[in-house]
Amino acid sequence: MYEKTILIKDTDTKREDLTRQAYTQILDFLRHNDQHSRIQVVRVADIGLYDKGLVIKILPEQITYANVKEDDLKRIADAISFNKGRVEDLVYKPKSKQERLVLKNCGRIDPESIDDYIACGGYLGLKQAIELKEDKVIEEIKTSGIRGRGGAGYPTWMKWNFAREVASDQKFVICNADEGDPGAYMDRSILEGDPHAVLEGLIIAAFAVGASKGYFYVRAEYPLAVERINKAIKQAYDCGLLGQNILGSSFGLDLEIRLGAGAFVCGEETALISSIEGKRGTPHPRPPYPSVKGLWGKPTVINNVETLANIPQILLKGGAWFAKIGTATSKGTKVFAVTGKVKNSGLVEIAMGATLREIVMDICGGTLTGKPIKAVQTGGPSGGVIPEHLLDTPVDYENLQKLGSIMGSGGMIVMDDDDCMVDIPKFYLGFCVEESCGKCSPCRIGGFQMLGYLKKITEGAGNINDIAQLKRISYAMQKASLCGLGQTASNPVLSTLKYFEKEYIEHIENKHCPAGKCSHLVTYSVIEEKCKRCGLCFTNCPVSAITGDKEKGYSVIQEKCIKCGKCFEVCKFRAINKK
Amino acid sequence: MVRLTPESLDKISKEPCDKPANWIKVGMSSCGIAAGADEVFNFLSEEVKKRNLNVEVKKCGCQGNCYAEPLVEVSIEGLPSVTYGRVNRDIANKIIEKHVIGKMLVNDCIYNTVD
Repeated sequence: MYEKTILIKDTDTKREDLTRQAYTQILDFLRHNDQHSRIQVVRVADIGLYDKGLVIKILPEQITYANVKEDDLKRIADAISFNKGRVEDLVYKPKSKQERLVLKNCGRIDPESIDDYIACGGYLGLKQAIELKEDKVIEEIKTSGIRGRGGAGYPTWMKWNFAREVASDQKFVICNADEGDPGAYMDRSILEGDPHAVLEGLIIAAFAVGASKGYFYVRAEYPLAVERINKAIKQAYDCGLLGQNILGSSFGLDLEIRLGAGAFVCGEETALISSIEGKRGTPHPRPPYPSVKGLWGKPTVINNVETLANIPQILLKGGAWFAKIGTATSKGTKVFAVTGKVKNSGLVEIAMGATLREIVMDICGGTLTGKPIKAVQTGGPSGGVIPEHLLDTPVDYENLQKLGSIMGSGGMIVMDDDDCMVDIPKFYLGFCVEESCGKCSPCRIGGFQMLGYLKKITEGAGNINDIAQLKRISYAMQKASLCGLGQTASNPVLSTLKYFEKEYIEHIENKHCPAGKCSHLVTYSVIEEKCKRCGLCFTNCPVSAITGDKEKGYSVIQEKCIKCGKCFEVCKFRAINKK
Repeated sequence: MVRLTPESLDKISKEPCDKPANWIKVGMSSCGIAAGADEVFNFLSEEVKKRNLNVEVKKCGCQGNCYAEPLVEVSIEGLPSVTYGRVNRDIANKIIEKHVIGKMLVNDCIYNTVD
């Protein structure tokens, strides 16, 4: 049986992988010290650090060495062989660390077992809430400073307090799990990995505001999440955590699931309420806010999945504990779904105030292709694009807003040089135009018009005045739209215009797309000097736009070319020029 | 199931967790299942049963390292608990033979993060 383990991995991708070489060297040193039967050496596929040279991790002591050189291997091997402690000068001290509050049970407990959840301290927050009584619960949430994790960042305690203060025979609580931003999936993971935490948060919210009926509004595209919430609700009923006299108190709550039918706008709270009422899911003017007049005209608290998942721990450990994490105005942690051209896509939970660069470079390992990052898009279709030179901004609600983006639900899409900054807003705007409910004209007409201008620009028919027109429509939409969808739909356009206006001008004046993404502005041609006349492009062209034969060589007929890029992909000699 | 009371909740939380020392957890959220966690989970459960090993195979949610799904966390007495990534039938078989039975960590398959 081994007493100690050495994990080893070369994280430098720019040179030849030295993992195996270092592995045998360390093994030799251990054999020399006659320790190889006490200490095992293991090559790993991913050690959690990137571009830090050779990384060595010692278990069970959890010592990590980074940037280890060949000469250092003997020192490390000797230190571990003769229990001489750590080799101080090589120890790696991480700058940014993930901090798991919301995801603490995800990947640890069986999501389909209430016993697992209770064994990890589950439902103690609810017990604490019932002991504290309603006012103290809201007081505790106020101390914690938690703000809504769904996008706008409205203080949670204020929502609860409004609903509590309104006198009404019936109040409601709703969990908003209608996650629709492209590339964001943290709510799904929380619901699938730890449904009881969200359930407990919702029960506490109901207790605090005095609601006796609650809904889970989940999008139908998440069947596994729905199945697991269903199981969780059933188990909670069986254990007396739902229904009448919860935990022996006079408080009672009934919960039901409502499925969203796939409309993005139903994530907006007033539209969500209409949808639950069985009406068409369109937003309503606010005020009155749902906290005062919501579902069926009764006070209703609507909270996002991630917000609710934070609540049990705030009650258990106290609001003051929570308020210590994060920045002055944004408390706690945030879960981000990092996707796009990033090496390690996935969920990252980090205390507010960490920089975008730490998240993308240190935790997620940089870009997939090794190319430099061009920008990071946060907040989905309502958010904006943050250019590379601003990646050192600490992430919190205010900072992102200042940059012209938003926190949103926490989607983060990494882009490199191959992404066109006119094409990206075109995609997001297209999404919003498709999802606009059509009730108010600024969103319905404004979005459509803007999309038209963007299409024109990417097709090479743009006019320099179009930029001013895009800005005008954007401001009109921000001012006059009925709900968040329309008010924020122009953010991707405005932020790219702010940071990448040159790219727009390049498209308009020179009819050239620097990223080579806009197919109308790209031309393909054969570079004769490089062409080996293999004929691969000729056989692969779907529209026979390539002529010639193996003797004369090949060329592209521009009039026939549909710019699909197939010839560029198949050419093994890089003899196709893309411009 | 028994109705919980504040007292019984307290009692459970103070009880020492007498979890089995040997367990295998397979990440079975949408991301894991999409990458083939179902097959891995079934394979591991069958092998453990077939070879009569004293190991509990469990489901769990997503750990967040979605790029390396399916993720399998293995804890065997006497060895540090580690997470294997991009697990397929082959690697699952190695986990059973080398890690569970042979008590040695499998090379080139561990996805460990620095905590």
